Formats: sequence, structure tokens, C-alpha cells
Amino acid sequence: MAIKLDLDDIQGLIARGYRTLPHARFTIFTTQDTADAHALLSWLLPRVTPAGRFSGDSALHVAYTAAGLRRLGLPESVIAGFQPQYRGGMTDPNRSRFLGDVGESDPHHWVWGGPQEPPLDGLILLYASSPEVLGARQAELAAHIDAAGIRQVTVLDTLEAGNNEPFGFHDGISQPIIGGLPKVSGTAPAGTPGGRVVPAGEFVLGYPNVYGQLTDRPLLPAADDPRHLLPRDPAGSGAADLGRNGCYLVMRQLEQDVGGFWRYAGEATTRPDGSEDPDARTALAAKMVGRWPSGAPLVETPDRDNPRLGGDNDFGYYHTDPLGLACPLGAHIRRVNPRDSLDPQPGTDASLAVNDGHRLLRRGRSYGPGAGALAAAGNNSHAERPAGADVAPESETGLHFICLVASLIRQFEFVQHTWLNNPTFHGLYDDTDPLVGSRDPRGATFTVPGRPVRRRYRDLPQFVRTRGGAYFFLPGISALRYLDQLPADTRSASFSSSATR
Amino acid sequence: MPHQLGVTIRAPVAAGQVAELRDWLAEIARKGLAEGPFDFTHLRGLHYAKLYLLDETTDLDGQQIPATLVFMSEVDAPLRRHLAELIDLAGEGIDQAFAYCTGYPGPGAHRRARIAWLRRHMIPASAFYVNTVGRGLEQIRLEAMLRDALEEYLDQRDWAGHAAIEIRRELRAYVAGCPGLAWARKPPPPPSLRFRAGEAVHMVAVPLVLALLLPVLLLVLPVWAVLLRLDERHDQPFTERPTLRHLEEVANYEDFVTQNPFAVVGFLKPSRLRQLTTRAVMFLTDYGVRHIFTHDSLAGIKTIHFARWVPIDGWRRMTFATNYDGAVEAYNDDFINIIWWGLNATFGSARDYPPTRWLFFGGAKLEEQFKATIRCHQVPVPAWYTAYPELSADNIENNAQIRAGLRGDMSPAQAERWLSLL
Repeated sequence: MAIKLDLDDIQGLIARGYRTLPHARFTIFTTQDTADAHALLSWLLPRVTPAGRFSGDSALHVAYTAAGLRRLGLPESVIAGFQPQYRGGMTDPNRSRFLGDVGESDPHHWVWGGPQEPPLDGLILLYASSPEVLGARQAELAAHIDAAGIRQVTVLDTLEAGNNEPFGFHDGISQPIIGGLPKVSGTAPAGTPGGRVVPAGEFVLGYPNVYGQLTDRPLLPAADDPRHLLPRDPAGSGAADLGRNGCYLVMRQLEQDVGGFWRYAGEATTRPDGSEDPDARTALAAKMVGRWPSGAPLVETPDRDNPRLGGDNDFGYYHTDPLGLACPLGAHIRRVNPRDSLDPQPGTDASLAVNDGHRLLRRGRSYGPGAGALAAAGNNSHAERPAGADVAPESETGLHFICLVASLIRQFEFVQHTWLNNPTFHGLYDDTDPLVGSRDPRGATFTVPGRPVRRRYRDLPQFVRTRGGAYFFLPGISALRYLDQLPADTRSASFSSSATR
Repeated sequence: MPHQLGVTIRAPVAAGQVAELRDWLAEIARKGLAEGPFDFTHLRGLHYAKLYLLDETTDLDGQQIPATLVFMSEVDAPLRRHLAELIDLAGEGIDQAFAYCTGYPGPGAHRRARIAWLRRHMIPASAFYVNTVGRGLEQIRLEAMLRDALEEYLDQRDWAGHAAIEIRRELRAYVAGCPGLAWARKPPPPPSLRFRAGEAVHMVAVPLVLALLLPVLLLVLPVWAVLLRLDERHDQPFTERPTLRHLEEVANYEDFVTQNPFAVVGFLKPSRLRQLTTRAVMFLTDYGVRHIFTHDSLAGIKTIHFARWVPIDGWRRMTFATNYDGAVEAYNDDFINIIWWGLNATFGSARDYPPTRWLFFGGAKLEEQFKATIRCHQVPVPAWYTAYPELSADNIENNAQIRAGLRGDMSPAQAERWLSLL
């Protein structure tokens, strides 16, 4: 049965990554009091871009932390309906250990979102077609924020969106295709591994997920929504559905040590005479990623880059490369999306179905001064890339990672813990993700299967560290409207949690 | 190699001692069980151990069940040795732990009195799963060492241009030349003849008896199935969700190393039909884990090292405890995707389990209800010991295959396949 998504109520960020709006700026804010929080939301509400047809030169989205929803007056009894990971926050010590945010990535060192700071309220994402439009929209926003006396926490700038991420690889190729939305990415026909359609409920709450069920989300008694602002629970309970048409938004500032990455790849591939081997350097980097800089997947072209396959997403692993001879078992893309390599029946549709339950809808943007130069170089002649030479050490470069999910634990946290940072992923022993994994203290090996024997790279440095992050909720537009009108008396009311043990 | 045992010792906590015991467990959680006062690294054949508190509760008839301290170990046979070592080598810790329980003789008592007390407080599991029956701790450790040695050896040279069969020959020669690796050239010895004979008799006897009972079963089963289905229709969805506080208590002891401890406890539905169903299912589960799922996989799940089902309080409650690889979310996903039918059959008669249909269907397939009930009934395991914190069950099996591949002749293709294990 085809699912009809309520596109006028869903925020547009779920439907599109705004490739036509390559300039973006993210504002993370904390308000002083309830009145400020409402003043800001009232101003934002008419400016939020829905997921329906879109042709503007800018777009705006808003997402809230649990603290932000509390500030708006949402009672605890309703907040208890959100996932525990969201309520507890990303910097809870148990979450930090789970996510690999330890050592250099410890939240105590973060530039925003750390436990030493006042809790964040929310995130405003602004997208624009040109720097001028972005500047104008941001100025409006900033003026409003100043006038309202809101404590602004951080404004995160991004680089003009292109194909490449800061390490120099074509990124964002494999996005899930969402049931009920026009196909937004991918070149593979339906029914093939790359053309799989994932149920909308994996990314938008209030619709059936991979199990054909509705993921838990905050519901409230219909009596608490007398103006009928909220949609009703599609399961038929009669409750008002605050979660429907919303999703969780994970944001993490991931600093990429571009210089260190290429320096390592260069040193690990030096010829016996001590000279550099640029082809081998790129090949090793590609082994870590699982794609060549053009984006061509190693399973399709193991020995050299082939830019014609740059957007290729129509492949599996089990039948073509079960041992990882082309694309190492521990390579980045084989971890974040193992496709058909999962137990109990790898190589089958059942395996792909298991994989469907762990997909992320990525909406990140790169940041930093160094990335632009490298990304541009990556488009042309990756093999001749000067290894890290064009990145000054003090210029921080990286990714403002954003992903949208219906379940923080089953999707984002699972991928981060069970696939990326798991030293024993896929039968390995001491390998975390070579590109983005933590090395705490295990996981510093990268194994490249080969004939006649594998090659092990030991003592791999950590190339990515977390510099900030938080869990947000990206509400549907009616939910925003409901939050906006919460009367003062319920704002201060304290309800006992219904989720007792 | 010895077979493995799942030892469960459970004793009521003395009146007024629960709070102190809780504090003591928190302190032991910080110290761990590997070093003093438990010194579990010195116990022979000890794979895993856990120590946790089951809080006071009331059963479904309102009868009080006192708080109890539970000790569980997964250990190589013989049992006598293990119980003796618990007192002789880990006695300081064991004395401290059970001093909170009623009737423990205490450190002043003779060792035999304390061992006898432990033995008296042992309770049987109705089924005990071992990832690979007969693979002892020593074998696991030695084979991990063998793999490390072979990997290091491979790292020392550039093997480009060498044929797989030639490299295998060199690796065999290397092993032959290392006195410390001489054991690796022989297969691991099987468990004792007595154990194997007993298991063989059980393997044959159970189907034989069932075959004899077949005419009766054919009459009874359809009636039972219909009655069960009628009973299942009264089951209610599980709408509770774990509190942040409970989740934190459990998560405080999770996700530090490759494996995690896991323990859940719940009441069984009181109806006679459901009680009988659980007992019948546990009887079959016992048969399955003893004779079918004896190597590398529990019906498709390869991440469980050990698992046990222990009925307690006269079958009013059931505990399920395991040591497994990875995180609880992945573990639950495996349950839902791979052995939902087994979970439903073994836990479908537990209160708070999501409603099942015809014993096998529904239940775990109701994802959020299932995950919530698991989390809500999970017991924090503050004190936990693992003998090989860095090895997944997959790693252990791979190591065993590496060793096995050292023996006999291989074709070039076989040698190539074997080398890919390294």
C-alpha cells in the first residue's frame, strides 16, 4: 500500500538536502526564559519551509532539544514519550562511551554542546541560493535574536555545498530512497540493491517503519489539544500525535584531520627508496573509504578510479566480494551501509531488509577554510594531491554531520557503535572505521584483505574527532504550531511521568 | 577438553542488609572481579562470572519474594574444582558477598562448610547454551595466542608473488619450530568420554520417548494449541517504557569491552496451561542447545557466548542470562530478525511479554514493545568478569579454524581460503 506523506506538515529538510541552496548556516540557541522561547518560535513559524513543492531562494528549519521543548512549556508527561537517548542527551557519560566520544572527542573538550555549558534549546538551519541571500536571511534572524534578548550560542558556517567532503572524496552518494517521496537520489532502478525503497517511518514518525509498525513517539490526550492543531494518532487511539511528521535530528561537529589523513596514507605507502608513491597513496586512502575520490565504488573498480562510476550506488558485497579483496571488510562505506553482507543470510533480500532498519538520512555540510581547496583538487587530479600540504594546521576543517532518523538508538547510535566503532565488526579483531573511527584504545588496525595474504596497517592515527553535538527533534509544522500556542498555565504545570517502571 | 557448566548460586539477603549489599556491589563494580578480593583470573577454566541483586518483590498472588544475591559463572568442568576454587582462591570476595545473605557460614568456618553452603544454594538451569560445546578456556586462550603469532609472522615479510600453499607450508614450519606452539599441530581433545556418552544417550532417548508418546501427543497437541490460542487472546500489549533512571542503572555496566553481561527476570503467567507450556518449551530448548545448537550459533545468532534459562521461586519467575557480543540494541535486533520464534516460545508465557500468536508468532516481532519489555526487566549486573574481553565469538571460532587448518593437506584453493582467515 502506498503511503501518503503529509508533505505540507513535514519540514522540507526530510524531503531534500537543498543542493540548489548550497549556502547554509546553522544557529544553535539557548533562550533565557519561556517568553523568549515563544517569541522566537512565533517569529520562526511562518518562515519554516514545508516538504511540498519548493522553488524558493532560501529555506529555514527549526529543531529542539528536550530542554528546548521544556522551555516552551511542554509537560514532562509528553516529553516522556520521546526516546530516552534524546531525553538524556548526547553528552550523558554512558552515551559518550557508546558513541566513542572519549579521549580527544570527550564532550568536555567540545566547542559547543558540552556538559559544562547551559543546555541548548534548539537549532535553526538556514539554507540559501547565494551568499548574499544567506547573509540577508541570517541578518534578519540575528536582529530578531538580539532584539528578543536570546542567548545565542553558536553560529556554524558551512562551505558551499559540493560533491566532495574535506578528505577529498565524493560524498553523499548513498542516501536511502524514502517510500512516499519522489526519488531524490541514486541512479539504480527500483528492485536493485541501490534502488531499495525504505519505508517512510524510518525517517518520519507516525508512518509504518521497516517492521510495518509505528515507532514510539510523544502522544497526548486529545483534550490537551482542544483546537485540534495536531494530527491524531494514526494507530487509532484518539490521542493527539505530537511526533507525527517529525523526526530526530542528530548533529555533530566532526573535525577532520585532512593533513594527517593524507600524510599517513603517504607515509604508509612510501617506496623502499623513500620516495612517495602518489598512486599507492590514493589507493590506500580509497581502501579506507571503500570508494575512489570520484566516488567510484571499489567493488566495481578495485584497481583504479573510474569517474564514470562516480555516482554508482547499485552494488552489493556478498556475491562479488565476500572476502573484501576489492573493498576491505572494514572500509568506511562497508561499515556505514553493509548492504547485503549481514547475517543470517548474507547475499539475500533478508540481509538487505535487516540493513534497511539501520539507514540514516544524511544532511551534513562541510566547514572550514581548508576544505574548499582540497575538494576542488579532488574533482580534478586526486592522484597528484599534495599530501596535506595545503591545509594549515590551525585551520579546522570538517563536517557538520546531520542525520535524520525515526529512532536514535536503532539507526544513528547503532551505526556508530555496532558498525563504525566496533573493533570486531564483520569478523575483524582490532579494526574500527579507518576513516572516522575512534581509537580508544583499541581499533588502531586497518586490515586490507589481499592475495596471497592480507596487509595490516597498525597504529592508525585518529583522523576525525567530535567537537560538538546534540540530539534535536525536528517537529512537524503542526507540532510547531501546537508548541507555539502552549498556554502559560500548562507551561509551568508539572505532570508526573506516565512511563514509570 | 572439558565441557562447560553454568553455575547459578542464589541466596536470600539477610534482613536489613540490602542497602549495604547494594553499596558493596557498587564498590565491587569499580574494582572488578578479575583482581582481589575475587581474583577470578586465577580460577581455572572460568570464562565469565556475574554477581547481581534481585530486588525484593511480590509475586502475582501478592506473596513476598525476598531480595536475593545471585552469582553466575560459566566455567569448564569439573564442578567440584570450581566450587573449591571459589573458596580457596576467591574466598575473600565470596565471603564478603555472601556475608550479606542469611546463613552463610562466614570466613571463620571451615572451607568444606562454605563449599557445602554454596552447593546447597546452587539452582539448576532448565537450559544452558554454550557457543561451542567442549571449547575450554585454555583452548580459547591458546588459539588466540596462535593467531597472534601467525599474524605477527605474516607481518614480518612481503609475501607478494608467493603461492598460498607455499605460505601455508612456511607457517606450518614456523609453528613446528616453536616449542610453545607444539600443541597447535594436534586437534583439541574432545570432552570426557563420560560426558559424551551421557549426552549421546540423552540425544537418542528423548526422541525415542517422544516417538512412543506420539499417539498421545497427536491427540493432545491440537487441543493444547487451541487452548493456548484462546489463552493468548487475553494477553495485553506492553505499554510501559523503561525510565531514564532504570536505563542508566543498567547502562552503567554495559559497553566497556567486546562482550556484555545480560540478565533479565520476569514472572511467568500463573495459568496452568501457560506454566505447562513453558516447561514443555524449556524441555525442548534444553534438547536443542545440547544436541542441535552445539557449535558456533544459536539458531543463526553467532554473538552469544553462553546463555541460560533458570526458573526460580518454584517456576513463578524465570531468569535469562547471557554473555554476548556488542550492544543490547543489536542483540535485540538479532532476536527480532533471527530467532523471534525461539524467543516467543520461551518467553511468550512471561508476564509483560508482547502478545504472541500460536506460541511462535507476534511477540518479539512487535519491536518497540519487545525492546521495552527486555529493558524494563533487565537487571543491572554491577559485578562481571570476562576472561577474554577483546574476543568476539566470531573471533574465537575463526581462531579455532586457523588452528584446524594447520593439519593435513590442502589444495591451492583450500590453502587460499585458509589464509583468508588470517
